[in-house]
Amino acid sequence: MSTEPCGEHPTVDPPLVPAGRPLNCIVLVKQVPDVSNIPEDAWDREKGTLKRAMLDSILNPLDLQALTFARRITETDANSRTIYLSMGPPQARETLIDCLSRVPGEAILLTDRAFAGADTVATAYSLACAIRRIEREIFGGDRRYVIVTGMQSVDGDTAQVPPQIAEELGIEHIAYAKGVEVQPDLAVTRIGPQGTEIVRPLKYPVLVTVTACMDPLYRAFHLAREANSGEVREWSAESVGADPARTGLQGSRTQVYRIFSPSEERSKACEFVHDPAELIDLIKTRYQAAGSRSRTVEGEPYNLDGKTPTYAGEFWVLAEREGDGIRSVSLELLGKARELAAGLGVMVGAVLPCDDAGDLPQELIARGADKVYAIEHPLLGEYLPMPYKTAISRLVCERRPQVMLFGATPMGRELAPRVAYACSSGLTADCTKLEIGDYTKGSLSLVGILKQTRPALGGNIMATILTKDSDTQMATVRPGVFRVPPPDPARTGEIIRVKADLDVKQLRLRSVAVESLAGKVSIRDADILVAGGHGLRSKKDFERLLHPIAEGLGRLLGGNAKVGASRIAVEDGFTTHDHQVGQTGQTVQPRLYVAIGISGAVQHISGMQGSEIIVAINKDPKARIFNYADFGMVGDIETILPGLTRVLDGAPA
Amino acid sequence: MKPIDILIVGAGPAGLAAAIRLRERLDRDGSDASVVVIDKAFGNGYHNLSGAAFEAKCLEELLPGWQTERSLLTDHVTPVERDEMYFLLRGAAVRIPPFVVPKRMHHKGDVTISLSNLVQFLTQQAEKRGVEIYHGYSARSLMVEQGVVKGVKLAEVGLDKSGEEKPNYMPGEEIRAKVTILADGTHGALSTQFREVFGAGRNPQVYSLGIKALVQFTDENPFGHNRVVHTLGYPSPSSVFGGGFMYSMGEKTVAVGMILGLDWKYGDLNPQLEFERFRAHPFIERQLHGGVIIATGAKTIPEGGYLSIGPLSAPGALVVGDGAGFVNMEKIKGIHYAVQSGICAAETIADAYATGDFGVQPLSSYRDRLVKRGIMAELEHARNYRQSFRWGLYVGTPLSLIQSRLPMRLKTHPDYLGTKRGARLRRKDLGRMDQTTFVSLTGSLHREDEPSHVTILDPSKCLECTERFANSCTHFCPGQVYRWNDDQIALSPSNCLHCMTCTVKCPYANIRWVPPEGGEGPRFKNM
Repeated sequence: MSTEPCGEHPTVDPPLVPAGRPLNCIVLVKQVPDVSNIPEDAWDREKGTLKRAMLDSILNPLDLQALTFARRITETDANSRTIYLSMGPPQARETLIDCLSRVPGEAILLTDRAFAGADTVATAYSLACAIRRIEREIFGGDRRYVIVTGMQSVDGDTAQVPPQIAEELGIEHIAYAKGVEVQPDLAVTRIGPQGTEIVRPLKYPVLVTVTACMDPLYRAFHLAREANSGEVREWSAESVGADPARTGLQGSRTQVYRIFSPSEERSKACEFVHDPAELIDLIKTRYQAAGSRSRTVEGEPYNLDGKTPTYAGEFWVLAEREGDGIRSVSLELLGKARELAAGLGVMVGAVLPCDDAGDLPQELIARGADKVYAIEHPLLGEYLPMPYKTAISRLVCERRPQVMLFGATPMGRELAPRVAYACSSGLTADCTKLEIGDYTKGSLSLVGILKQTRPALGGNIMATILTKDSDTQMATVRPGVFRVPPPDPARTGEIIRVKADLDVKQLRLRSVAVESLAGKVSIRDADILVAGGHGLRSKKDFERLLHPIAEGLGRLLGGNAKVGASRIAVEDGFTTHDHQVGQTGQTVQPRLYVAIGISGAVQHISGMQGSEIIVAINKDPKARIFNYADFGMVGDIETILPGLTRVLDGAPA
Repeated sequence: MKPIDILIVGAGPAGLAAAIRLRERLDRDGSDASVVVIDKAFGNGYHNLSGAAFEAKCLEELLPGWQTERSLLTDHVTPVERDEMYFLLRGAAVRIPPFVVPKRMHHKGDVTISLSNLVQFLTQQAEKRGVEIYHGYSARSLMVEQGVVKGVKLAEVGLDKSGEEKPNYMPGEEIRAKVTILADGTHGALSTQFREVFGAGRNPQVYSLGIKALVQFTDENPFGHNRVVHTLGYPSPSSVFGGGFMYSMGEKTVAVGMILGLDWKYGDLNPQLEFERFRAHPFIERQLHGGVIIATGAKTIPEGGYLSIGPLSAPGALVVGDGAGFVNMEKIKGIHYAVQSGICAAETIADAYATGDFGVQPLSSYRDRLVKRGIMAELEHARNYRQSFRWGLYVGTPLSLIQSRLPMRLKTHPDYLGTKRGARLRRKDLGRMDQTTFVSLTGSLHREDEPSHVTILDPSKCLECTERFANSCTHFCPGQVYRWNDDQIALSPSNCLHCMTCTVKCPYANIRWVPPEGGEGPRFKNM
């Protein structure tokens, strides 16, 4: 299958225009349910799922960041234009009015029954068609514009649509943007895999996805009045020249198979312990067992029983490098792919883009690969989205594996959507569970397919997704979900060297590293999070008692450990807001969450319930936090914490 | 942009009734004058909470045939068929025979509704008629120039905790209008400023706190349908004014709540714990057995009545609804007055609009219209009702029956003076719903790094308060905004329910509350 552009698509880009001409912005916005404020009656108590209609509708918070970001670009030139584009039902007009009340501009709502049921691929295609029409009709063919949008939406949370739009338009994508300079020419500050870097586009248009980084602009009353009486243009599928076969349900390559409650995945009963040493032991055993999320409901291995599987081909895993080795998530995926492929009796392949493969293929074989596809090229030494995407998608399109798995790392989340789009395949982001199974509905009968399960709506529901109308089933998987398989040096496998036809002229971004990421990890990225609440009583106690525990656990378990806080602890000045976990702080999903002196208000729970292992220490045995904990300790913090520290320091408690 | 002709501050029943009637009158008179409503809540009806037993006649006047339109409101209007009153003793409930209950307190013929749903319905009706409604804008001050109200100024936004301007800072916008209707509800910031400028009622305004929960049933609802129950007695000591209620809200939901007069004397009275105690009473618990609490909330009620009502108009402005104090405590009702006062204000302005004069003379006919409808007479009849209970339930009950015939006017005192030195209730925690859960069920939310919208004016008084009044703010606030931390009050302003209790109940009148940024506060749904 090939990807045909839907409108005119100039093959030769005009040369980069000199600075000074206005730079226009297209801001992509989405109306989403407000998952930060879920009323109690929005829960369907029987099914354990959320009734979306009961939630408030808001402008996706990261799109609000994007709007603020775009304003930085357009405010430098009075002739710069701001176009808001949204796709959704007619009531999504409210969201565009919201945008216009913050920064004036022109608003377009892409709305049509034909778009209903679109997954990320169909959404990206439809939006790309509208962007082409904006370029043609509103910008008069001028390609000097930037498409700005949020990294992801709070409802879908896949971060797939923007890179897929970039793929459809054949343009560069700058992800994780957190700042921008416009003079002398556009320079975007972004968080790259190695640290902060400044990226300059060499060619327009370019697509920028923005992370939470700015104080969002407010709605102004006088602008709201103007917006309210102003115009929001409505564009249909036909008006943007979208191919009906590629929009809506028809154009989608994934479908939801089942929605269920996250509580089905984990049966929580808090195990209370009294001895600090026992607690540390339990934590250590559970942590090192890894993948408790998948382990809880491990079914029987799949058996074909003589049926003919729907898909044919190998199971592939992208091998992501880290330093001189392979990132552990790639090894985890190799282990899982090995197990799943066995049920279908097919081979496992590892795809290794690099400048020089060295010993890495051996390592990959020892961890479960039957074949290693080493794509070697000087441009593949460092991670660059375009050369990587080009090299990998060519290989996938040529050899058509039945499954392709990526780690849900910053690189995987940027790369996988583009590879999937280029290969006309469905993709499911951030899976926490993978299994092989059959699916029958009406005349449709699928055998031996990959069932991909992921959290959605801010972790409040789980969804199992199936790939359709694709040769390859693709998924990204969160790190730490599966176990790293032990190496088997006796394993043998085939190493296939693949030629990559890449040219330095294809690079359309220039980036300069400005700051290393080391030592600057947000609490969202921590493996282990030790959070303190009001029970800590003072800032001094917070620092004196909490930090040694975090450091000790980090040492013991070999993970990245950070200190977090409840809202009250932040209000009491124990620490700063960037450490706050919960509804109005950050949503975290570490492998280990230790809540100390936190009672467990709903607002806090919603920010940490996705953590893999939860430990609670509180003086009140009735505290709500224990309802969510795997392990609990009741008692005075002043005595428990020093005891834990002593155990962690190796001394007898 | 078209200038604003009529600005209405507050999208509650009073403000929206005014907007609907105005739009209709202006259209009929061939005027395209603009009618604009602003409200500080995030969405329709999110700051509106009441019981509510409602005299629906006024809606028939405002929107003839309203019941035939399908909406969240009309789908859930529940006619009252059974109306009972009980006196609760510890462990038992005694039915008060209907013939003993004063006629004005009967509810047959009323309907029970959710006030937030009524407001949603009115919003839709107003928008349909061309009223402009903007939510999420917080009016902070009244603009008065040379004795004429010129409009309002919105809250500035984008300050950090210490009051420094952040990159997204925006100064408070001025909204100017030919005439402004203040419909900002109980202890509204602007109607309060209006009284400071143009004078207050003869008596100081006094308040009660209403606290409420919605209980939802999946199976059988033991309380039953089309029923209202009012209670007196337990858990309140006889010195505390108020009572409890349970109302059917459709088939599967029951509203349960309590009203507590804010002149209570106990420094440590915690309304939320009293509410837990009330629901733990065997009679109440039996009615609510098997239900799940899906929403909670609290709000004050202005109860001073006739004698606490101040001037209702000034050049360029009118005051309507709870903001004016239109509540009849004899009936414990005010929503129908809110709607009717809105209608009267609209008629007044529409007439004045024809002449182009919004000065004292034309706007003062607003009061005449209220008189003509008999609203003022009803309120006057109840003028001493609330005050009768100053001496507790046992004096108040008989006194309230003859209050209208008392020759003198009974005085009220600001509620904070009611708190008595050393008076304590010393309740044990029953270990039921905790306060954080109660607060979370209100959906309240504020940006946490904005400057606190509640301020302790003189923190040194709090130390003295500990011994005298048990730091009553740490008890009386249903949002748990105030905590005692070491030797001072620590604030959690983001918990605030906008109920206004703190502004009237701090024993030292030492708390200042200003409207925070727009779009914040509780999100009452179906309340």
